[in-house]
Amino acid sequence: MLRIPIKERPDWEAKAEEFGFKFHSMHGERYWDERAYYQFSLQQIERDIEAPTEDVHQMCLAVVEKVIADDELMHRFCIPQSHWGFIRNSWLNGDPSLYSRLDFAYSGTGHAKLYENNADTPTSTYESGFWQWLWLQDNVDSGLLPRHADQFNSLQEKLINRFKDLQYLTPDRELHFSCCKDTEEDRGTVQYLEDCAKAAGINTKFVYVEDIGRDQKGNFSDLQEQVVTWMFKLYPWEFMFREEFGGLLGTNNLRWLEPPWKSIISNKALLPLLWKMFPKHPNLLPAFFEDELHLADASDSMVKKPIFAREGANITILRNKAEVASSSGPYGSEGYIYQATHMLPKFAEKYTLIGSWLVDDEAAGISVREDSGPITQDMSRYLPHIIL
Amino acid sequence: MKRTKHINLEMMRKDPEKRFLQRHLALGMAVATLAGCSNQEEVSIVNSVAECAANTELNIGECEAAYQKALDEAERTGPKYNSNAQCETEFGPGQCTQSRSGGIFMPMMTGFMVGQMLSGNNRYRGSSFNPVYRYNRPNSSLHNRIMTADGTVIGTSGQRSYRVDKSTMKAKPTATRTISRGGFGSVASAKSNWGGGRSSSWGG
Repeated sequence: MLRIPIKERPDWEAKAEEFGFKFHSMHGERYWDERAYYQFSLQQIERDIEAPTEDVHQMCLAVVEKVIADDELMHRFCIPQSHWGFIRNSWLNGDPSLYSRLDFAYSGTGHAKLYENNADTPTSTYESGFWQWLWLQDNVDSGLLPRHADQFNSLQEKLINRFKDLQYLTPDRELHFSCCKDTEEDRGTVQYLEDCAKAAGINTKFVYVEDIGRDQKGNFSDLQEQVVTWMFKLYPWEFMFREEFGGLLGTNNLRWLEPPWKSIISNKALLPLLWKMFPKHPNLLPAFFEDELHLADASDSMVKKPIFAREGANITILRNKAEVASSSGPYGSEGYIYQATHMLPKFAEKYTLIGSWLVDDEAAGISVREDSGPITQDMSRYLPHIIL
Repeated sequence: MKRTKHINLEMMRKDPEKRFLQRHLALGMAVATLAGCSNQEEVSIVNSVAECAANTELNIGECEAAYQKALDEAERTGPKYNSNAQCETEFGPGQCTQSRSGGIFMPMMTGFMVGQMLSGNNRYRGSSFNPVYRYNRPNSSLHNRIMTADGTVIGTSGQRSYRVDKSTMKAKPTATRTISRGGFGSVASAKSNWGGGRSSSWGG
């Protein structure tokens, strides 16, 4: 695993415009950064990332199976009791999933260590599935990268194939895509997934989360007064459970992507439970609920993470109970979990995080993010990668 | 090869003109696309059981069933308005009525679609005998057009038959009348006040 500087494509900004990649820079800063790329060997990809990704995903499904059947754990996961039935039914019915992204700390040697599972609302899908793919294509075409350079990135192909399966499983329904207003990044991500669904032959529509309506019977509706029967939402389940329309969830005939059971593994309480069920697994870090911290033996350095949080917010790194680094944010009211510190590897003075994609239960590629600090956040830069 | 083998770049290209096309009409107006002949079908529009029996391959009994099905589809999928006046603005004076369940106003169907290729055991399958409506707003470019419940235009009023995309024959999505909006999004809105309203994503 190497970080190698490379010339930017001279026309990349014009290309971004052409392909509708609008959030390559945000808040005046570079987000997409092609001044360097990461290079992996095929063995690093297949042995250290691809195989563990599928293993960890299966372990996460085992966690769902256990939590679903255990009221005490449902409380521990801070799932409102009013929605237990909704979540349990979605699991017992086998509601299909589209995708997830596991975040790993990986340095090129040793075992990749799971940081968290973005199982409900993963983003950076467009940059991964399409934009870095195009970057490799362009650099091979221009001769800057060798013709045999590859990339661990079958994301777009797998998403389209998965949408074909989903249409078969969900016949005769239009698929509504949804995200919040005023976020170009989420709108772009959802547009990309909508394009993939269309390529799979699905009839699609779009409605903003805030514009979703309800009718007398409790159906959800879009702005054209059409009843929503199948919806992809880039909006966290734990928000929806607590909102005004949350009480209607499960009362109407509506299929969801991601399915409600994903709320169990997008939850940081996943981490201590994984460690309990699969102790000392090489891809896991020791993790504990707040009241079980005494079980943590020699690990004097812990990372404190909110049960619910997005984009690296409200994370604290503690060493000997003293704060080493922290990020601010609006999360944490539901409590915290603790995970043994395992710092991200550094390349060229940058901290590097690997996001590993799953489409349903198949590993589908990686994204590389780097940050000048040890906590990866929403503005951490995205760099492309190759396999050589 | 560990990456996607082929990506259709044409599909990925975005035309900013078309991307966030605003829909001004209450109906989702979509003009039927001109597709290859294999995707198209010739349909008759009939407005009564007698006309159905006279102009299509269906017999009287089948036409009665088809008519009933069209009425049910009209109730389920037809455009819905809060007032008769709103409805008449788009479909013309005297062309609207209260829905069977009451409280909602809907245009009366002008007729329903019967495929001309219906034969044998396939007479009913795959055809929902979709109701059609005549749009009636003199200043609109859609004036006097015949459309299905979701606003797909199939042609100008008065033709003996229409050549339509096969998808036009499929059952339409359920239409409703919304009683409130904004029941989702409040948590994001509250959290976005943190950090000066800088929210680039609710994903992760």
